[in-house]
Amino acid sequence: MRILLVEDDVEAAGYLVKGLTESGHVVEHAADGEHGLQLAVANAFDSMIIDRMLPKRDGLSLIEELRRMGNMTPVLILSALDDVDERVTGLKAGGDDYLTKPYQLSELTARLQALTRRAQTGVQGTVLHVGDLTLDLIRHKVTRSGRSINLQPREFRLLEYLMQHTGQVVTRSMLLENVWDYHFDPQTNVIDVQISRLRSKIDKDFDAPLLHTVRGAGYKLQEMNSAVEMT
Amino acid sequence: MSTLASPNSASAGTTSPTSLVGGVSTATAASEQRVPPRPIDRRRLFRTSAFRHALIYATLFSALSAATLSFIYWSTRDQIESQVDARLRLETDYLINLYKSGALPELLEAIQRRNQIDTYGRFYYLANNDSAATATEQEAESLPIRLKSIRSHTTRNMGDVADLPPGSPRAFNPVRVAETQLSNGLKLTIGHEISDEQALLDHTFTLVVGATVLTLLFSLIGGLTIGASVLRRIDSVNRTASEIMSGDLSQRLSVTKRDDEFDEIATKLNQMLNRIEDLIGSTRQVTNNVAHDLRSPLTRLRNRLEVTLLEERDADSYRTVMSEAIGDADSLIQTFNAMLSIARLEAGLDSVEWKDAAIGDLTTEIAELYEAVAEEEDLRFTANIATNPVFHCNRHLIAQAVTNLLDNAIKYTPRPGHVQLAVTGDDQRFQIIVSDDGPGIDEKDRERVLQPFVRLENERNSPGNGLGLNLVKAVAGIHNAKLELGDAGPGLKASITFTQKTRRAREASVQ
Repeated sequence: MRILLVEDDVEAAGYLVKGLTESGHVVEHAADGEHGLQLAVANAFDSMIIDRMLPKRDGLSLIEELRRMGNMTPVLILSALDDVDERVTGLKAGGDDYLTKPYQLSELTARLQALTRRAQTGVQGTVLHVGDLTLDLIRHKVTRSGRSINLQPREFRLLEYLMQHTGQVVTRSMLLENVWDYHFDPQTNVIDVQISRLRSKIDKDFDAPLLHTVRGAGYKLQEMNSAVEMT
Repeated sequence: MSTLASPNSASAGTTSPTSLVGGVSTATAASEQRVPPRPIDRRRLFRTSAFRHALIYATLFSALSAATLSFIYWSTRDQIESQVDARLRLETDYLINLYKSGALPELLEAIQRRNQIDTYGRFYYLANNDSAATATEQEAESLPIRLKSIRSHTTRNMGDVADLPPGSPRAFNPVRVAETQLSNGLKLTIGHEISDEQALLDHTFTLVVGATVLTLLFSLIGGLTIGASVLRRIDSVNRTASEIMSGDLSQRLSVTKRDDEFDEIATKLNQMLNRIEDLIGSTRQVTNNVAHDLRSPLTRLRNRLEVTLLEERDADSYRTVMSEAIGDADSLIQTFNAMLSIARLEAGLDSVEWKDAAIGDLTTEIAELYEAVAEEEDLRFTANIATNPVFHCNRHLIAQAVTNLLDNAIKYTPRPGHVQLAVTGDDQRFQIIVSDDGPGIDEKDRERVLQPFVRLENERNSPGNGLGLNLVKAVAGIHNAKLELGDAGPGLKASITFTQKTRRAREASVQ
C-alpha cells in the first residue's frame, strides 16, 4: 500500500515510516502541511496519515483543501488532542478516522487497512460471505454450512463489522467505536467476552474456526487456509 | 463650563470606558511600586459619568426652575401693574368727567383737594405742554372741550414726575404714571408710587436668581460627590484587580451592605474569581499529583530497562522485558488520557456531543456488555432498568461513568458475588445505581476516594490509576448530577442522581 505520512515530529515520523515499511508499505513523508499538499496532489496514494497540527498548513485545512480538489483518498487523522469534540471536528473536515497519540502501531495499521478496504470495496452486497458463514443484512439471518445461527442484535452487528473487514486485523477500540459507538476503553475486557460469546456461536460446533485472535492487536475473521498463509 | 461638559453624548459614551482602562493601568503601576493609593485626580473626577450626568441634570433642572420662577415673577409684576393701572384709570375717569361737565377751575380745585388729602404716593396735577398758565386762561371759556382721551401708563422715577425737595430719598422710587392728553394742550398726569410693590418684585427677582444659582451649585456639588464616590468604588475594584493580576488570586472585591449595583457587580466578579481560583487550584492539584503518581511507574519502567541492560541476555528475555516496558508505557498513557479528560470536564470544556439520549437504552446496552463479563468472571449480574428518561447529555461520558463504576464493582467484588445495575426514578429525577456485595468503602474514606489518585490500602496491588471514581465525579459534575457512595449492606452502592433541567435553565446555563 502506498501511504502518505504528513507529520512534523521527525522522530515519531521516523518510527512510523520504519514500522509501516517493515509491514510492507511504501511510505512518503512530508514534514509540513504545504509539502504534504504538494505530495498528495502530485502522487496517487492508497491512504494518507495526517497529523492534526502541522506547520505552514494545519492538518484539517490540508484535508479540507484535498477534499475540495476532489481527492477522496482515505485519511487517518493523528492527533494529540483526545476528546470527542476534536474527533467530531476532524471527521467533519473530511477525515475518515481519528487516532489519538500515543497509539500502538498495530492499532494504526489495522485502522489504515479498514479505511483502504472501505474505499476499495465501496458499496457492500446485502449478503456477506466468509467461507461457509453467511450473513444476510436484509433478512437479518446468519447461517454457517446451512445451519441457522441465532444472534443477539449486538452480536449481529459485531459479526457484520468483522465480516466487512474479513482478513483484516480489527482492534478492540475499533469494535468499541464502530459497533458500540463508545470512544473510550473500559478497563474490563468487555470486547474479549463479547468475542468469545460470538465465537462460541459461530465456531464452536464447526471444524474450522473463522474468528481468530491476533495477539497484542485484536481479532481477525478469516477462513483457515488463507489464515495460515497470512501468519 | 464648556470644558467640563462633554460636547456630545456620543463622544461621552466612548470616553468613559477608555478612562476606566486608563485607571486600571495607572493603578497597576501604583501597586507595583507599593505606593499607597493616590487621592482622586480632579481631572478624572470631572470626566466621570456621574459628574457628567449631574451637570446635564443640573443645567436642565436649573433652566426649568429659572423659567418657572421667571414666569411667576413676570406674572406677579403684570398683576401689580394692572391693579395699579385700574385704580389710576378710575381716578382719571372721575377727573375727566369732572373736567367735561364743569370747568377747568373745578378740576384744578379737585386736584388741589386730592393732593392735600391724598394718601401716600398718589399725586395729581395738570400741566400744559407749552405754557400751562396761558392755556388755562384762554381755554377756560371754551369748555366743554373735545377730549383727546389718549391715556398711557408708564413706570418712571419719582424724581422725574413729581416736585420733590432736592435730595429726597424718594427721587428714585418707581412710580406708575397715567397721562391723559386734554384737548386744550393740557395734560392730566396721575402718578402712583409703587415702591412697596417694586420692593416685593425685586425680592422675588432675587429669589429667582438665588434659587437658580443654588440649584446649579448643589447639583454640581452633588455630581462631584457622586462622581467621587463612584471613583472610589471603581478605584477599589482597580486596586483589587491589580493585586490579582500580580498573582494574589485569593483577593476578592469588597462588597458593602448597601447591596447596590456595585455590590452586584462585585459579587458576580467574586464568583468569577472563585471559579477561576477553583480551576487553577484543580490544575495545580493535578500537576502535583502527576509529578507524584507518574514518577513511580516511570521509575519502575526505567529500572526495569536498566537492570536488563546490566548483563547480556538472550533474545527472549529482551523481548519479555520490552513487552513489559510497553505495558508500563501503556498504563502511563492511560493515566495521562484519564487526567486530561478529567481536567477538561472539570474546566467545563465539552459541548459538541451533547444530545438528548434515552438513559434506559444506554444503560441496557452497557448491561448487555457487563452481563457477559460477569458471567465469565463468576459473578452474578442483575440489571434493573425501571425507567427510560430522555436526558440532555454527552452519552459517551455517561457510558464511561457507568462502565467505570461497573469495572470497579467487578474488580473489587470477591467471587462468587453479585453486581447490580439499576436505573430508578422518573423523567424529572432519576438515579443510576451500581452496587455490589463486596467489602465496600468505609464511611470515612468515601469522600476521599473521589479525589484523583487516591487508592485505598486494599487496592494498592490491583491494577488501576486511581482516577476512575474521579472521572465519574467529573462526569456527574458536568451534568449537574451528584455522585454518592453509600453502603449496600454489605458492599458498595454508588449512585449518580440526575435532575432534569428545564429547557430555559439549560439555555441560561449555556449562555
